[in-house]
Amino acid sequence: MDFETGILLATGAAGAMLTFFVNEKLKQGPVRSSAGLSLLVALFFHLFPHSLSPVLVKNIPLVFIGGSFIGMVSSRLLSSYIKIGLAGVIFCTIFLNTSRFFTGYGGALGTTASISLLAVLSLPVLNLRGRLTNGFEQLRKAVYTEDKRRVK
Amino acid sequence: MIYRENRQVSLISGAVIVLSILLLTAHIKAPLHHEDHFYEHILVALWVPAGAAVTWYINNDLHLGPVLAAGAVGTFGSLLPEFNKRSDYLKHLPPAIYCGAFIGMSSLKVAHGFLFVFAASFFAGVLLVLSKSLFFGMGGKLGLIAFSGVVIASFFLFILSNYGF
Repeated sequence: MDFETGILLATGAAGAMLTFFVNEKLKQGPVRSSAGLSLLVALFFHLFPHSLSPVLVKNIPLVFIGGSFIGMVSSRLLSSYIKIGLAGVIFCTIFLNTSRFFTGYGGALGTTASISLLAVLSLPVLNLRGRLTNGFEQLRKAVYTEDKRRVK
Repeated sequence: MIYRENRQVSLISGAVIVLSILLLTAHIKAPLHHEDHFYEHILVALWVPAGAAVTWYINNDLHLGPVLAAGAVGTFGSLLPEFNKRSDYLKHLPPAIYCGAFIGMSSLKVAHGFLFVFAASFFAGVLLVLSKSLFFGMGGKLGLIAFSGVVIASFFLFILSNYGF
């Protein structure tokens, strides 16, 4: 793994964790957290295009906005910063190896983010009662609770 | 496609297989189904083409790049509920606008003009209305909807161009 790949992997994890922090802790909502942070990163590299190597200047904003989509996850589904960071790393790995066929398709980053988040959600985790469960079961629970609340 | 282009790297092939097994196992173990289904209001979905067109203009006509365009449109969209905090309608707009912004991130190679953007937005809008209670609170849902819209529009364009339209 070279230096630039390492930086991009760290960017993916940082994008996801920072967005989750701004979304959940600073209560700014998922859209503002993701869009606002991505806007700041993109503005920085737009104003200072020679601050880093061309590969990093081109890819850091894309990896950051993709990572930030992961950070938009609700804390009821995933609340561990480590797992969100891991999803960011998986996202970046897929992004760096994505087929050239999908270059330029809008929404490809979001789809990749969704795949990496689903992969992390499926990792078995121990819930509070010590029973083996996984993120998908949490997602189902969240959907059911939301539906019931709306029906009431 | 990813597998075919990276066949020489065994690590990537392994990662794709592991990811697929993880997704499949979890899907079989805990299928994502629910009894009730909710629909997003159609007036909310109308903001998808608006977000897409503005982002596409900033991205491809002003040449400011896709991330800057989507970030600016998304940030503006997220500020809309602040104008009237009591309005329930305004609270539903940021996700729709941000979903449209992802469509506008498409490059000129894929989205040739506003017509394509509006077609992709139409399909994404329909999916947004239908998928209100699916993947609730999951990151990447909006991007997935936008991508589906762009792919469906590209597919129709491909069919139409093959028949000489």
